[in-house]
Amino acid sequence: MRGIQLPLSQTQKVRLQKALEKLESISSKVNSAASVIIADSIPVNHEDGVLKGHGTIDLNGEVVATICGVVERVNKLVYVRALRSRYKPEVGDIVIGRVVEVAQKRWRLDINFNQDAVLMLSSMNMPDGVQRRRTALDELNMRCIFEENDVVCAEVRGFQHDGLHLQARSRKYGKLNRGQLLKVPPYLVKRQKQHFHHLEEFGIDLILGCNGFIWVGEHIEAKDDMVEDQVSQSDPQVLLPNKNCLSLEEQEKNYTILETRKYICRAANAVRVLSMLGFNITLEIIKGIIDLSISMNLDIHEMLGSDFCVLVAEKEVERRSSNKKKR
Amino acid sequence: MWHASAPRTSGMVGLSLGEKHFIQGGIAHDLRCDGRKRLTYRRISVETGVIPHANGSAQVRIGGTDVIASIKAELGKPSLLQPDKGKVSIYIDCSSTAEPAFEGRGGNELAAELSIALQRCLLGGKSGAGAGIDLSSLIVVEGKICWDLYIDGLVVSSDGNLLDALGAAIKAALCNTGIPRVQVAAGTSNDEQPEVDVSDEEFLQFDTSGVPVIVTLTKVGRHYIVDATSEEESQMSSAVSISVNRQGHICGMTKRGGVGLDPSIILDMISVAQHVSAQLINKLDSEIASAEAEEET
Repeated sequence: MRGIQLPLSQTQKVRLQKALEKLESISSKVNSAASVIIADSIPVNHEDGVLKGHGTIDLNGEVVATICGVVERVNKLVYVRALRSRYKPEVGDIVIGRVVEVAQKRWRLDINFNQDAVLMLSSMNMPDGVQRRRTALDELNMRCIFEENDVVCAEVRGFQHDGLHLQARSRKYGKLNRGQLLKVPPYLVKRQKQHFHHLEEFGIDLILGCNGFIWVGEHIEAKDDMVEDQVSQSDPQVLLPNKNCLSLEEQEKNYTILETRKYICRAANAVRVLSMLGFNITLEIIKGIIDLSISMNLDIHEMLGSDFCVLVAEKEVERRSSNKKKR
Repeated sequence: MWHASAPRTSGMVGLSLGEKHFIQGGIAHDLRCDGRKRLTYRRISVETGVIPHANGSAQVRIGGTDVIASIKAELGKPSLLQPDKGKVSIYIDCSSTAEPAFEGRGGNELAAELSIALQRCLLGGKSGAGAGIDLSSLIVVEGKICWDLYIDGLVVSSDGNLLDALGAAIKAALCNTGIPRVQVAAGTSNDEQPEVDVSDEEFLQFDTSGVPVIVTLTKVGRHYIVDATSEEESQMSSAVSISVNRQGHICGMTKRGGVGLDPSIILDMISVAQHVSAQLINKLDSEIASAEAEEET
């Protein structure tokens, strides 16, 4: 049962098992030969010479897998891509990270990679939108842009000598506010054309970070900042983060309105269900789950119950088999 | 369940201002981040008999929180002051698998805090009067031999609401506990230690109907919530843990967090806790019963 932790009744168990088996039968024919578990020997052609890569070991002249995963071959190199691992960045990926440290001219971000990523002050657009050299004053004001613990969306720029670099050279990147961050296994988020989604019917933003961090929040218009931000730019005092100066009543007025919040929670729970079941997370599927839960008139919290999970699994079988027929 | 570990945030949940604001707003609007209302629990699952060597054990999962309680009974001597009562001690350990910050001595502080809170909530006063566990049922020969119960709790993974989870786990483990029947050899004089024969077939079940459950009400902003996640706990101003037994009586109370509370709020909290605990006890009882049934099959 893929280690799914759900208290299931007997009928639910049977239903879920059936759904998972069907899913397996739909998908597994293509690449079952390439997947290995620990101690499987990997067939190689020794005459051409072999370069043993990650997750392989030489045992009595045989190449043997040391991790569970999929065998990948690049010319002579043979390695195993692990099924469950931390995120492996690729250039151009859209990721979401949390600021760990504000350092000289850079922020360090936790992006679920085995080292922290670096976002240089120079590789992001300034809030005023003007292209210019970054001055010492900008450097001093870095905390006005991102503070520790802020959630930031950025793009992977590539590996430099001092680690993994990110960039945020567009208005769609930057700090994420008013919403919640979800963490799912990175392999559930596949690279797609579009990772930023605005669900207009619900008024929410959904960002699927390739690193398995998913942001669900209130929709924020990518604003034409030239007009209003110049006002604040003229006075650097305004830029300072003004936390704790609002009274409780004032704060409460600023809260995300209930209607939007309901959809945010619904979308977040859809992601949680998918992550629990170990299904790929795409906009289409999330929308499907949200619609399903609304049509069933289900309470938002009940979406995490086992009954709904089983239903989602069955719907997924339907969806994939119908997709297959279309092809 | 999968947990992303943030390596350098050193234990405490780091949340951005926007997220904090969102959590507080959700609690104000009675719609928390996972869609729960203020007084709704996460899914609770109970598994009993997880440790074969112990007399009784249980694992309780509430959402992402995962705790194990085990109960070990040993024959010992009752204390001189209470010759007609057995002894119970509670000790909690926070595993570093739950949070990197618990490594080494990092978890000790929290473990001590939890142990004390549980002792207050479950064991009653120094004399042992009013304890959830009937201490006089632990006596074998008055003044000479009694059972010592060692209750050990282990926090395997922590996502808030540890105290409630531990309380539930201890309750479940006590339900699961069998204490061997003891035959005392007859005809020993008063001043020497009587010989005993511990049966390994016959076990006595505990009476656990008096064991209370713990309901922690966490105050965030103006409102209070039950079963807070660790994100929500990071936003709390104070938290009151109230242990309530089946009759709806308060057995113990502890408060964490520095912010003061108006007495009227505490009274309000108590009545809410009474109401919530009735549901929790029923839920736990059915979970424990089904877990016991599962174990037997």
